[in-house]
Amino acid sequence: MSTAGLALGNGRPVTTALWQVLALPLLALLVWQVWALTLESDTRAPYPIKVLTTFLALTASGDLPSALLQSLGRVIAGFCFALLLGCGLGILMGANRKLRDSLDPIIEGFRPIAPMAILPIAILWFGTGTPAALSIVTYAAFFPLLVNTVHGISHVDPKLVRAATTMGLPRWRIMLRVLLPASLPSVVLGARLAMGVAWTAIIAAELAVGAKSGGGTSGGIGQMMFVFYAYSVDLNAIVVCMIVVGVVAMLIDRIFRAVERRLMPWRP
Amino acid sequence: MTDNPKLRLRGVSKRFEATRANGPTTAVADFSLNVANGEFVCIVGPSGCGKSTVLNMIAGLDAASAGSIEMDGRTITGPGADRGVMFQDYALMPWQTVEQNIGFGLEYGTPGEGMTPAQRAQRVRDYIELVGLNGSERKYPHQLSGGMRQRVALARLLANGPEVLLLDEPLGALDAQTRLILQVELLRIWGETLERSHRKTAIFITHDIEEAVFLGDRVIVMSSHPGRVKADILIDLPRPRQESLRMSARFGELTDRIWTLIRDEAYRAIGGGSPANTPTQEIRV
Repeated sequence: MSTAGLALGNGRPVTTALWQVLALPLLALLVWQVWALTLESDTRAPYPIKVLTTFLALTASGDLPSALLQSLGRVIAGFCFALLLGCGLGILMGANRKLRDSLDPIIEGFRPIAPMAILPIAILWFGTGTPAALSIVTYAAFFPLLVNTVHGISHVDPKLVRAATTMGLPRWRIMLRVLLPASLPSVVLGARLAMGVAWTAIIAAELAVGAKSGGGTSGGIGQMMFVFYAYSVDLNAIVVCMIVVGVVAMLIDRIFRAVERRLMPWRP
Repeated sequence: MTDNPKLRLRGVSKRFEATRANGPTTAVADFSLNVANGEFVCIVGPSGCGKSTVLNMIAGLDAASAGSIEMDGRTITGPGADRGVMFQDYALMPWQTVEQNIGFGLEYGTPGEGMTPAQRAQRVRDYIELVGLNGSERKYPHQLSGGMRQRVALARLLANGPEVLLLDEPLGALDAQTRLILQVELLRIWGETLERSHRKTAIFITHDIEEAVFLGDRVIVMSSHPGRVKADILIDLPRPRQESLRMSARFGELTDRIWTLIRDEAYRAIGGGSPANTPTQEIRV
């Protein structure tokens, strides 16, 4: 089953060469660059060469790396809070039907409220610094972790639990040795989703907090984007930020997949 | 059989409460059965006749609604490692290797209490040897064939040292050839060549009549809706059972007799009439 779609017809696996993957993006960049050459030399419009030189300048000055580190730090810290809260509550809710049923309306009531929607309250309570950004990231990452942990624990094959009871395992050991490992794939999936939304939330939060603080000292890559947008109208720098945000998100996801494989070598 | 029975079921019933889709159902009614120590008892019956429910109640996984289930004269109140269960789809822990699965009960359950880690490891190795899984110790269940998974489940069951083996269609998921081979294997591992007093008491659920006759000392035929004992048939075939036995006249008589007992219900279950009251069609060539 796992090879379905990979092996077609003559049994040769279908592989896509690197040039096939890169051809279209490179062509698009080329067209973009050629188009930019037709513009006046003092144009504000972003184009590939200018984006690249801006990226190098921002990196050399240390502005981009420090903003990136600040955002990353907030994401990781917020993710860890959410991991503790989401998994902790998720395990309790997954294992206890009554608790699950009674907390479900509250959880489902909050879940559709976008992280950005709690920003006004976060700013009023925590100001425009790290705590506000952190609370939004935690809020955003909490739900995927909670929902997937609850789903994982409550959907463990009951036969495995029954098998464990016939081997004389007490309840707490069944939790530790059956429910937790069996729900790990679901929890890790939740963590991956949570990391994704945490990263999108931090950029949006920093943009908004940056706007509120008037481009002050709130920091992070989102605030940096706000400054380039509101003060210098530097579209090239904004594109640099966009690309960096995208690339970092992709790298984080790659790391998660590698962890996933290490953590669960038993998955087909 | 002068000893007290190993297992005694008296007037056991199981009712399931009404659900939104169905009214209350009686899965098993007034089921009585004595199983002697070292006896291999097969339970056959049409699908849904409550065979597995009976097994689960002996395992202590389901509580009986009425009647009593005793082991060695003590009432069974819940699951315990003295009664090992082998489930139809094996219920192996997918995140554990073959050796970890076999050692699961020893490591985390009551069967391993008082054993040193070295003794546990030795026990796991012994059972890997017994079921012939050498070389696959580090594999995960998804990397094994159905027959190998079945062996892992059997080794796990035996490694826990239960007094009673409860086998719920353990060969049901295998192809026909593998089944025949594993029936012989199962009897070898069970200890067919040992004296009766050294064998484990076993209850084996199956819907395959030939399998039941080939394996059992006795075959309990169940009827369904509700599940009751319809017949209790002594299988007087010599042990150890040989492959050639399947061709013998006595084997044929026993399987025929059981088939006659459940034929009508089996036909009804698939929605057709019994051939006895369906007019036969003449076939012209």
